[in-house]
Amino acid sequence: MSTILRQPAEITYQAELDALKAQDSGNKPENWQLSPQAVVTYILGGKAPDGTAISAKYIGNRRLVETAVATLATDRALLLLGVPGTAKSWLSEHLAAAICGNSTQVIQCTAGTDENQIRYGWNYAQLLANGPSRDALVPTPLYRAMEAGSLCRLEELTRMGSDVQDTLITVLSEKMLPIPELNDAVYAQRGFNVIATANNRDKGVNELSSALKRRFNVVVLPLPDDMKEEIGIVSRRVEEMGSSLSLPVPKNAAEEIEKVVTMFRELRGGETLDGKITLKTPSGNLSTAEAIAVMVGGLSQANWFGGGALKAEDISTNLVGAIVKDPVQDKAVLEEYLETVLRKRRDYASYYHAINEVL
Amino acid sequence: MPASEIHYFGIRHHGPGSAARLRSALDHLRPTAVLIEGPADCSDLLALLCHQDMRPPVALMAFASEHPECSVYFPFAEYSPEYQAVHWAHESGVPVSLIDLPVAVQLALSLAEQESDSGETSLDPGSDSEQSAEPGQKTEEKEAEAESNVANEEPASVLAFQHLRTDPIGCLATLAGYEDGESWWNDLIEQNSDSDTALFAQVAEAMAALREGLEDTPVTPTVCRELVLEAQREAYMRREIDRIAKQVDGPVAVICGAWHVPALQQPVTAKSDRDTLKSLPRKLPASKIRQAWIPWATAKLASRSGYGAGVQAPMWYQHLWQNRNQPDWLEHWLTQTARALRDNGHTVSTASVIEAARLCQSLAVVRERPAAGIEEVRDAVIACLCDGDPIRWHQLENTLLLGSDVGSIPAEAPLAPLLEDLQIQQRKCKLKPEALQKELALDLRSDSGLARSTLLHRLNILGVPWGKAAGSGNSRGTFREHWRLQWEPAYAVQLVENLVYGSTIESAAANKAAEATANELQLYKLAEWIQLCLEAQLPAAAEAGLARLSERASHTSDTYALLTGIPALININRYGTARDISLSHIGELIQRLLAQATVALPYACRNLDDEEAQSLHRCLQETHQALPLMPLDSDLLAHWQQALRTVAQEHQSSPLLAGLCARLLYHADHLSSEELQVLFQRTLSPAIATADAARFFDGFFSGATQQLLYDEMLLDAIQSWLGTLSGEDFVQYLPLFRRLFADLDSMERRRLMDTVLQGQQTQSHACELLHENAALWDQQQSLLGKLLQGESPWYK
Repeated sequence: MSTILRQPAEITYQAELDALKAQDSGNKPENWQLSPQAVVTYILGGKAPDGTAISAKYIGNRRLVETAVATLATDRALLLLGVPGTAKSWLSEHLAAAICGNSTQVIQCTAGTDENQIRYGWNYAQLLANGPSRDALVPTPLYRAMEAGSLCRLEELTRMGSDVQDTLITVLSEKMLPIPELNDAVYAQRGFNVIATANNRDKGVNELSSALKRRFNVVVLPLPDDMKEEIGIVSRRVEEMGSSLSLPVPKNAAEEIEKVVTMFRELRGGETLDGKITLKTPSGNLSTAEAIAVMVGGLSQANWFGGGALKAEDISTNLVGAIVKDPVQDKAVLEEYLETVLRKRRDYASYYHAINEVL
Repeated sequence: MPASEIHYFGIRHHGPGSAARLRSALDHLRPTAVLIEGPADCSDLLALLCHQDMRPPVALMAFASEHPECSVYFPFAEYSPEYQAVHWAHESGVPVSLIDLPVAVQLALSLAEQESDSGETSLDPGSDSEQSAEPGQKTEEKEAEAESNVANEEPASVLAFQHLRTDPIGCLATLAGYEDGESWWNDLIEQNSDSDTALFAQVAEAMAALREGLEDTPVTPTVCRELVLEAQREAYMRREIDRIAKQVDGPVAVICGAWHVPALQQPVTAKSDRDTLKSLPRKLPASKIRQAWIPWATAKLASRSGYGAGVQAPMWYQHLWQNRNQPDWLEHWLTQTARALRDNGHTVSTASVIEAARLCQSLAVVRERPAAGIEEVRDAVIACLCDGDPIRWHQLENTLLLGSDVGSIPAEAPLAPLLEDLQIQQRKCKLKPEALQKELALDLRSDSGLARSTLLHRLNILGVPWGKAAGSGNSRGTFREHWRLQWEPAYAVQLVENLVYGSTIESAAANKAAEATANELQLYKLAEWIQLCLEAQLPAAAEAGLARLSERASHTSDTYALLTGIPALININRYGTARDISLSHIGELIQRLLAQATVALPYACRNLDDEEAQSLHRCLQETHQALPLMPLDSDLLAHWQQALRTVAQEHQSSPLLAGLCARLLYHADHLSSEELQVLFQRTLSPAIATADAARFFDGFFSGATQQLLYDEMLLDAIQSWLGTLSGEDFVQYLPLFRRLFADLDSMERRRLMDTVLQGQQTQSHACELLHENAALWDQQQSLLGKLLQGESPWYK
């Protein structure tokens, strides 16, 4: 058994990829391991032609995945947008694994990323000893992907500075990376493309320049739209995290999860679940990941300070913290929600009072 | 006549693909007669369809002249196969006939249905024909109706079944994973066959298989009734085809919905057809039926507008039709989309359009389809032109897919339904259109008064101001209305313009109001619309308006808007007592609006300039005054008072509003006089800028100066404040004081002066004569003496 904590997707799911590859009759774009249809099957799950079951890697809208794969089959780059916790990086990793069998050509973009990490760096020992030459270049994942005709992943594209982002413009439109120092250029092989991910909710990131943006086809990944699915995700993750933090999960956790997810979905969706009352939405994004965090926080509080029973009081503090990101605006939104919705629901009475107390 | 000479063309209603194929098939076949699925007694009107001024979309409409609400429509778009067939026949000089059940029968059927629905015995002359229908038929209908009322229908399956029969091709497409029947037609039917005849044979085969498979579906009463009707229609068509085929020599083309083809081709004996048709009610006499061409709107061709045989995206179909021979139809469509996006203020480059076109192609490849259809185009547009943002697409969807084109009809076409309905209503209400102005007082408690008022209100909604409301007059009750009536000839034209909305005044007004409310953003205007709808007895539109209002209310963060909505709604709530309309939602909605406004009020009263504060002052006052007019949750009222208290006591609140809130609370005894005194001293103390103090003063007293007559405490507080003002400040605020005290009438002003001066007289007793001025006293006395004696000049 491997001692590696987490293997890349193409190794974890090698059997599935091999099964799909073995009998893939569809047309493959050049340098693709699988046909576009097989890639969609790999991502969304199904059956390989030989009967091997393919697990679903992404649960959600089929059209979005089809658009993403179709985009990669053209020479346009793909930008996956979405609020945190919508499986952008996960999808990008699996797309790369399925299309070119290598999901490890990744550049994690940060505020400190500079051009050398995008284009190429210099091996200064070589540079000093032999002068500038191709041998003195240190290639980046992007450089390698262009040479190999494979996919390069850019994580959190909008986190790096706009000036560095714009380095990508030539690469994306002319499929060429100039090396002015050598009066040379790297020309991308067929099959090269870029999958970028970015968060569309954060403030204070570097918005893409429109010149760069129009070189991407954008696919926005939504939050889960099915209540049961979301409750399922939250319960599973809360249980997992509970056990890894050695927090016992009380019996009533399932009920409370349902209530928290209901409140999250109502506030996020801007209307009550029965569709009767429209609501204002708070400025925070209230993703599934945050619902998980609220529940785990509540569990921890109940365990250490609440005598083990999970009560609305334990959850409410975390709940208010998750909902009220802007002290004035969101507070009014929450107050309105309390007064117009929760007050009338008898089974939410404890939440109504607990949240009111926190506010 | 051998049956082989009859050619059946199973088409998809409003399907551009089948329209194009139909034309070429007709060119190929050159039939001597064209038969189309449509009411047989409307054949004469078809000639007008080819009139040069006739611009689709238009609809053939028929209605029972005494019951205009009982009507049937047959819309035609440019890409409807039926329309193309009529045009082809016109160009080739071939006679066209319609072969479906005549409208006379269809209307008789729906009249009968209506009768049994309402369970009324015949009240009006219109049911004469009904009475004479075979008794067997009538009871059967009623039984079916009763059953359907008892049995719990499965609406989903019934709907699916109806969909299958109106658009079987669309249904097959949905099964194949397509969203749109047209793409499926293109991909499967068009690609597989070049020969037109073979193509239509294929369609017929598919339908036959489909009908066979359906034979053993469980049947609910509604479906059962529809099946009977369908069998009757098909029998009628078979007979008509037979009859006409015997009259002409040469091939006959039958154009009908694909679904019916297998049934029409079936060999059925004339006798069994006659038996099937026997159960139909008797035709309405021709004098009781009106047919007319009316302009139709592209948006109303869409299935989501409620049109059964509607299509998903009329404008897309129109584009497909108009560009059917052009290889670059996709690029045209995308460019059009890009232009619409640009018009909405988004930047869309030509390069992005190119990319979108390429993505369409590769999406079609990924989905293993031969060509891009509407789904591919939509997904590509979202990804390439809208930055992946579906909301941007949804904003445009309606304009692009539904369109706003309205057809037009030639001037000489018979064009009457609304005017005719108006005449009927006028007779019913005993109101004559007169050019001279006439006063009319209505008592809404009487049926005739209510009917008249309803009619006038509805006409007002339709932009026909025949009657102008003149308030409820001297009477205090809400059951009286006064109108000023004056008819102008131009009103007839204005009324006819509303045909797009519906064929009766009621339905047209309802639809127009529904459309207006759907586009309205302002809460108080929405409330006004709702009131208008209630007055015009349009409960459905009023409900829609309420739903819209509640939606808008939650989106608005503007307290001003919320507050303006509340009094209007409370007004509606009160008004409801004079009319029999359920208003349960309104109470709930008011509670919610008030809850929202309560939470937001303290924040809304901060940082306002004078003008904003003034308008908020006005609507806050109105809202507060309206609140006692309806029973409200006591908790909620307590919250409201708490909010007012917060506004009154917080330093950040605008002083004008703080003053108002203080008064409202004081009036309602929620602020004791001690508290008020403290508040007054605090806000009118010297440390507060005079301007702010004056605003507080203004807010407190405007509209409530009488208070001073009775309340010494207030009077003292003000007197002491006025005393502290410097002369300059006093002059500056003089206009304000004048304005406030102008509210008092002369009597009240005198009483106020008395009260004030009384206080001062007690002071004047304490005055002492100034001895240094004693000399002047004598001088004055002598001058007075001169004056009294009439000496002139007396002042020397």
